[in-house]
Amino acid sequence: MESYQTEYDKDGLLSETFWRTPQRAVPGRPLQRIAQNEVMSGSSYQQFQASVNDAWDLGDDEIISGIAETKISKAISQSVALNVINSHRNSTKNVNRSDVKIETETVKPQEEAVAVKKNEVKKIGGSSSASGPIRHYPGRPRAVRPSALISREESSESKLERFQQVLESSVLDLNELKHLSWSGIPVKARAVTWRLLAGYLPANTERRAETLDSKRADYKHLVRQYYDAEREEETYRQIHIDIPRMSPLVALFQQSTVQVMFERILYIWAIRHPASGYVQGINDLVTPFFMVFLQEAAPNKELDNLPLDSLSEVQRDIIEADSFWCLSKFLDSVQDNYIFAQLGIQYKVNQLKELIRRIDLPLHEHLQTHGVDYLQFSFRWMNNLLTREIPLPCTIRLWDTYLAESDGFAIFQLYVCAAFLLHWRERLMQERDFQGLMILLQNVPTQNWTDSNISMLVAEAYRLKFAFADAPNHLHNAGKSDR
Amino acid sequence: MGTREDEYDYLFKVVLIGDSGVGKSSLLSRFTRNEFNLESKSTIGVEFATRSIEVDGKTIKAQIWDTAGQERYRAITSAYYRGAVGALLVYDIAKHLSYENVERWLRELRDHADQNILIMLVGNKSDLRHLRSIPTEEAKAFAETNGLSFIETSALDSTNVEPAFQNILTEIYRIVSQKQMRDPPEGDVIRPDAEPADLRPSAADSVRKQCCQ
Repeated sequence: MESYQTEYDKDGLLSETFWRTPQRAVPGRPLQRIAQNEVMSGSSYQQFQASVNDAWDLGDDEIISGIAETKISKAISQSVALNVINSHRNSTKNVNRSDVKIETETVKPQEEAVAVKKNEVKKIGGSSSASGPIRHYPGRPRAVRPSALISREESSESKLERFQQVLESSVLDLNELKHLSWSGIPVKARAVTWRLLAGYLPANTERRAETLDSKRADYKHLVRQYYDAEREEETYRQIHIDIPRMSPLVALFQQSTVQVMFERILYIWAIRHPASGYVQGINDLVTPFFMVFLQEAAPNKELDNLPLDSLSEVQRDIIEADSFWCLSKFLDSVQDNYIFAQLGIQYKVNQLKELIRRIDLPLHEHLQTHGVDYLQFSFRWMNNLLTREIPLPCTIRLWDTYLAESDGFAIFQLYVCAAFLLHWRERLMQERDFQGLMILLQNVPTQNWTDSNISMLVAEAYRLKFAFADAPNHLHNAGKSDR
Repeated sequence: MGTREDEYDYLFKVVLIGDSGVGKSSLLSRFTRNEFNLESKSTIGVEFATRSIEVDGKTIKAQIWDTAGQERYRAITSAYYRGAVGALLVYDIAKHLSYENVERWLRELRDHADQNILIMLVGNKSDLRHLRSIPTEEAKAFAETNGLSFIETSALDSTNVEPAFQNILTEIYRIVSQKQMRDPPEGDVIRPDAEPADLRPSAADSVRKQCCQ
């Protein structure tokens, strides 16, 4: 354990895991001795702050929003990356990470994130002790609890106010909205913000009502044209098989009203995207949109058991049409994931492998030595955009960031997958064979994850992207000269 | 923390294939955990589980790969047939199309799996008596003509699930152990931490090519 840690320090960019969560005993898995209260202790707060304050500052917003329009000069990015690499390599165990900060102005976002984390950790601490041992099985994700969407309230009223200011101004500043959204959208502002970020709702306030009306009417027309007509049998059958088993334990999804809504959305999307068609897993990508628009229609209601027929037909039509259009926009940037042979995913899996080899050679070699192929575990991460790996409320939080990514989230998602894999590296390094590694990778214990985990995940992904995206050769060469 | 799980004499890789929704994942969870999971979402890509059984006093560890049924995934899933010594080809006794597609799945195996792979045809959902659309005799006859073993199972009420896996694993074991008696292993196969067993006439050109350049 110590030996690889040392090696990891030497080689890797991360000299320690970038966050810690309370970890409970899993049968057959070595115990991680982290006391529950350690998470809330001052040391962990500092640890947390130290681990992210080089990753994500308010000032970095400019960099994100600028990515689409302005390419950061290669020379600059490479020198920054070199600096980062060098300072990490020179760092000792108790390194003060401020020397690798990219921007140093304000740490407010972290403070907020930590505030959320503390609250949520307390909540979890209260309930987890009673909930018994974790049971998780290969490929059998846990039941989601949409109700968690409601109980989770805004970390600060001020954030909601800032959203309202932006949303209500006569000329919408889309960049500002992206800045705000990247670190999470308050529940009350989410539905409208998602519509705007997806490019479904126009920025121009005057055109909004009209656009929505016509788009929703268009969708009704599509339903008549494709769904109410003779259907393409194979596509329909596959969708029809998959919908009922999406969330069999959540009453909401067992209502035929809901299932038919999903069926129509997916069928029409598939028919209109013949290059890919329906691919198993896309059904999971409808759920976040559906839940967000449902929550807008039924604010402060318990969604798990909400009878959809209690909403008006108009409300249901809005949920369905808006889910369809937002899904369509959302999938545009990852469509090559779902074409023949799923080439987009195969390509990204290779990129992930290359990335991990550069970032964390010991982990990469550990996986390789035991015959674990990246495709075996990361295929689902990419095909389902992590929806199978994390609880639904976390997916929704993650999508706040995806939707706010200016250049589409396809590339960013690769770095999220890398950060996600690296998050489990300590446990993975303790597994001694193929079986243990695969079982863990297919069942990573995220059942207690909250928004704060996602905030840290995307912060880490952002840091990795910044360090590696534009400087593909630096660590490669550095690694060689080291060895 | 050595558990008995870690100790085994033979490691056999087995794949579960067949149309979407026939119950491949349910068979797997019934066999490996003795559970029928209502929370059984569609399988994305491939998923993995293991279970060990005893045959002739030997511990056999089955490494079972559960694959996605949708046509679109075949390019991905067929990569996992390699090295498999057994396949459970599953159809739904109440869904005729899933039975008709058995021939296509056999072609898949012929194209992508080792030629000596043992195949068992499995008619699942035998609890759905009133909905049956494929008579047992018909499937049995089909299996015989194609050199497959055959069984009907219900992952729901657990009928025959245990025997299905036991039978195919035992059969693989017999072949492998006879082969070993004919030409003793040269320290290259089957023992713990080795590659999954290989049924091909020569085991020498076995699977692992570790590539980390």
